[in-house]
Amino acid sequence: MVIDQATCVGCGRCTLACQATNDINPNIAWNVVLKVGQLDGQDVYLPRPCMHCEHAPCVEVCPVGASYYRADGIVMMDYDKCIGCRYCEVACPYGARAFNWETFDGRNPAVPLWGETEVERRPRGVPEKCSFCFSRIDRGLALGLTPGVDAEATPACVNICPMGARAFGDLNDPESPVSRLLAKYPSYRLREDLGTGPRVYYLPAREEGAEG
Amino acid sequence: MTTLAIKPRKFAMPGPLQVWLAGLATIMVAGLAAGLIVLSRGLVVTNLTDLVPWGLWITIDLSAIAMSAGAFSLSAAVYLLGLKRLAPLARTATFIGLIGYSMAVLCLMLDIGRPDRFWHALVFWNPHSVLWEVTMCVTLYFTVLVIETAPIFGGLPWLKRRWPRISHLLVGLHRLAPVLALAGLGLSMLHQSSLGATYGVLKARPIWHRPDLSVLFMLSAIAGGQALTVLATTVTARLRPRIKLDAEALDKVTRFIGWTLVVYTYIRFWDALSMTYTYLPGRTEGLRWLTSGPFAFNFWVGEILLGAVVPSLLLLAPRLRQLGWTRTVALALVVGGVVAYRWDVNLVGQLVLLSYLP
Repeated sequence: MVIDQATCVGCGRCTLACQATNDINPNIAWNVVLKVGQLDGQDVYLPRPCMHCEHAPCVEVCPVGASYYRADGIVMMDYDKCIGCRYCEVACPYGARAFNWETFDGRNPAVPLWGETEVERRPRGVPEKCSFCFSRIDRGLALGLTPGVDAEATPACVNICPMGARAFGDLNDPESPVSRLLAKYPSYRLREDLGTGPRVYYLPAREEGAEG
Repeated sequence: MTTLAIKPRKFAMPGPLQVWLAGLATIMVAGLAAGLIVLSRGLVVTNLTDLVPWGLWITIDLSAIAMSAGAFSLSAAVYLLGLKRLAPLARTATFIGLIGYSMAVLCLMLDIGRPDRFWHALVFWNPHSVLWEVTMCVTLYFTVLVIETAPIFGGLPWLKRRWPRISHLLVGLHRLAPVLALAGLGLSMLHQSSLGATYGVLKARPIWHRPDLSVLFMLSAIAGGQALTVLATTVTARLRPRIKLDAEALDKVTRFIGWTLVVYTYIRFWDALSMTYTYLPGRTEGLRWLTSGPFAFNFWVGEILLGAVVPSLLLLAPRLRQLGWTRTVALALVVGGVVAYRWDVNLVGQLVLLSYLP
């Protein structure tokens, strides 16, 4: 995933779409938008989903292997295996995980305005996190669609962004939207120095009129 | 047992044992009630947050395991080093260990979000995870402790009368003591240090991400566990005058605790000093929180002064060590110091947040 901080206006719709699509307790969030500074008098935002690290600390530390890598690199959670020890939460450098401290059994306030629920609600006592909307990717691929290009196969946060600040796709495919953006603009990743190999790239906010 | 305490007519003036039992029963009832509340309403009642997902439960859990370290170290001294004189102390330590590990396991059951899946770590293995290793070691070591304490229960008079065969079998397990001591030594060394490594391996928390945590956890556990063992032995002897103490053995162990504290303080000193040279953002900040921030009192007074320096002086000066009350105070301080250390380590790492930008 590529997130362009130059175009993000911090409206927070990605968070709302995420809450609805993944049926998340309104007290917690998988995808948050943080205000990180100012440039040319404009606020700069940092939307933060799960980084889906190549070497994910959460996968390394999980005592039962409930956090695991999918073949395509998505860092997944097996909510049926998880014992709720929260070691992954302590180990994540990005604070990408949120724990279900209490049962969520009410109506989801983000539904239906911001989307329809597509996955099962998690029980009390397990930490949860962004899954890059793996169910949308899988269904889309099965229908012969391309994630990142066809909306039906793309994560909800990417689809809803009114500014088009998010792009999604296969980093191994040079023609994918993400590969094109990364080839064109300079980018960075969060805490690359830790060696986690995050798969979310950020295009930093640029000064007015400056070309990447 | 509790009926003794609630029949005031029989005991016009409750003796110290009755007062002790009544206090213990009160704490147990409160703990049971708290446990039931957590199980029914979930961890939301604990005020833990996503910022600090590990809190009081973990501290109790870590402290209980540390306090049980007398079992493996004293058993090893008796059965592997051949210091037979310490055998009665090793027996007490093993019993304390059984209580300590039961407490730790019960606390963990409440602390994990899905207590119904506590057995998952035994079935679904992730050998990469330090916590998996700790779980396996704790489970195996708990088994060792049960077998080690079996002869104590086998020797109970009523069991001997009622089921002489079972009693004989349990007492016979004592023959395995050297093998169990060896297994216990290995398993304990592994998980006592790994509990430090549980924190130490996390890159996300620079104040934890150091190799020394496992060494410090191990040393403090040995000091704390043996201190609690000697403390329990002397307190029991106070309450039940029938029990005879081996003054020389106690003296040896307390002196050993004193030296362990000196080594611990020495490594702790260099560990802290080396942190000032690395200038790692989260680490320097964390150290500042400990030495001059919100944890300063806990750190300087609880951990260093009262938890290590004062007791090591009291335990290493022969005259003070042999004086009953100074020794008791020193041992209690060691136990408190270890708990304070676990508390500070756990909290400071979580409260100092890592910046997203390097």
